[in-house]
Amino acid sequence: MSRFDLREVCVRREGHLIIDRVTATIAPGRCTALVGPSGAGKTTLLRLFNRLDDPSTGTVLLDGAPLDTLDVLALRRRVGLVGQRPVLVSASVREELRVGAPHLTDDEALGLLKRVGLPAEFHERPTEGLSGGEGQRVCLARTLAVGPEVLLLDEPTSALDPEAAAAVEDTLCALLSGGLTAILVSHSAAQVQRMADDALVLRKGQLVESGPVAGVRYVNGGG
Amino acid sequence: MSSPAVPEWTGVALSVSLVGLAVLIAWRQRLGLAREIVIAGVRAGVQLFLVGAVLLFLFKHAGLPGGFAWLAVMVVIAGQVAGRRGKGLRHSRYVATAAVAIAAAVTMGVLMAFGVIQTTPRVVVPVGGMVVSGSMAATGVTLSRMVAEVRGQRAAIEARLSLGLSAAAAFAPHRRELLRTALIPTLDSTKVVGLISLPGAMTGLILAGVSPEVAIRYQIVVMYMLLAAAVMAALAAAELGQRMLFTAAQQLR
Ligand SMILES: Nc1ncnc2c1ncn2[C@@H]1O[C@H](COP(=O)(O)OP(=O)(O)OP(=O)(O)O)[C@@H](O)[C@H]1O
Ligand SMILES: [Mg+2]
Repeated sequence: MSRFDLREVCVRREGHLIIDRVTATIAPGRCTALVGPSGAGKTTLLRLFNRLDDPSTGTVLLDGAPLDTLDVLALRRRVGLVGQRPVLVSASVREELRVGAPHLTDDEALGLLKRVGLPAEFHERPTEGLSGGEGQRVCLARTLAVGPEVLLLDEPTSALDPEAAAAVEDTLCALLSGGLTAILVSHSAAQVQRMADDALVLRKGQLVESGPVAGVRYVNGGG
Repeated sequence: MSSPAVPEWTGVALSVSLVGLAVLIAWRQRLGLAREIVIAGVRAGVQLFLVGAVLLFLFKHAGLPGGFAWLAVMVVIAGQVAGRRGKGLRHSRYVATAAVAIAAAVTMGVLMAFGVIQTTPRVVVPVGGMVVSGSMAATGVTLSRMVAEVRGQRAAIEARLSLGLSAAAAFAPHRRELLRTALIPTLDSTKVVGLISLPGAMTGLILAGVSPEVAIRYQIVVMYMLLAAAVMAALAAAELGQRMLFTAAQQLR
């Protein structure tokens, strides 16, 4: 299933309330966009879903279970994260795909590369010298290798040039239509309209709007 | 004119002229260091004078318990100094003190258990001092490298955590790297010992009139013990420091 509920979630950092009593639901099998101005707290909120951070108060639940009652390593394998920039941690693509999935077979690896739109020969490439778009696809494949039910995407195309961004976005859309639950942080209203089903709008840490994308003013030019 | 093997107090007084010379040069060259040279010289003199007095007291009156107490004091001081290098790491002074203590206890324990060194204050205090200071250096470098590594590699560590790796597994490549860096100076100085530098213990023994054959025996033991102490201190500091980096929920602080 993989439905998230946020209950009165607050995050406090150095005396500032960065996430201010957010209560919301992330529906399973859909793509929920997390939008709002820079500094609104989108990244901060996203990091709570795979417990890179914990809320100061309040609870995040996955299918009704508070996250801190689940095994955190198992949780992170269920809930994959792809960041804004590709952060590659191995010398070769072959190793990179196996960081979280050491027993991945070559066939599975080639299947993953295909899913993220990279030709098979990338399997033998060093990670040094990959373009931003290629690197981002490798990161996506590395996350998919673990077999997550949920994808957390923090501005996955914002560091790419327009052409690469469009191509990575197409890849993501194809993946999401396969039934993965996704939470997408994005600055682009157009991207949200193309990719997301629902949207949550944050402003200064508060949830100010939510619902299906078509009805959310922030995404449809209403500010 | 023949000099004694070890300087008399008059000789010590005359060696002050060397500091005077350094000050004169610094002053003439306008290096702005004259004041600092005087302070450093006076400090070193006073410190050594006091240490000499303490050691004299220890050897004469305090016995072995006194010697170990003095070692414990050195461990605490070394922990404070090395801990400062880990600024930014939680509880870095406790971590450093524990690392130095572990390395010193194991190294000294082995040396004494095997009877390699005499279990008397006259031996335990100076040998322990060398072990503590070597452990302190390795601990300091390990902790400062650890803080720098986490600062620079946060994204990579969190990328691995996000793939379901444990904190220990996510940090392992960085730990390997920082331990290598921390131990390189010790390994290098071990490799060239005798070729480039005649180390302090050996120099001291030769100056005091001991034959080089005896001096190298001492030096070999000293070198091996410093190597072991540095490796143990670095490993302990990395292990304990790493625990401070992550929460129980495998989150990077
Ligand atoms: N460790 C921290 N200490 C203090 N303030 C922090 C910390 N982390 C984040 N903040 C602040 O919290 C606010 C929200 O940050 P966050 O990164 O979640 O915003 P965002 O919505 O993702 O912004 P952007 O769109 O620019 O990525 C910002 O004002 C940021 O400066
Ligand atoms: Mg952000």
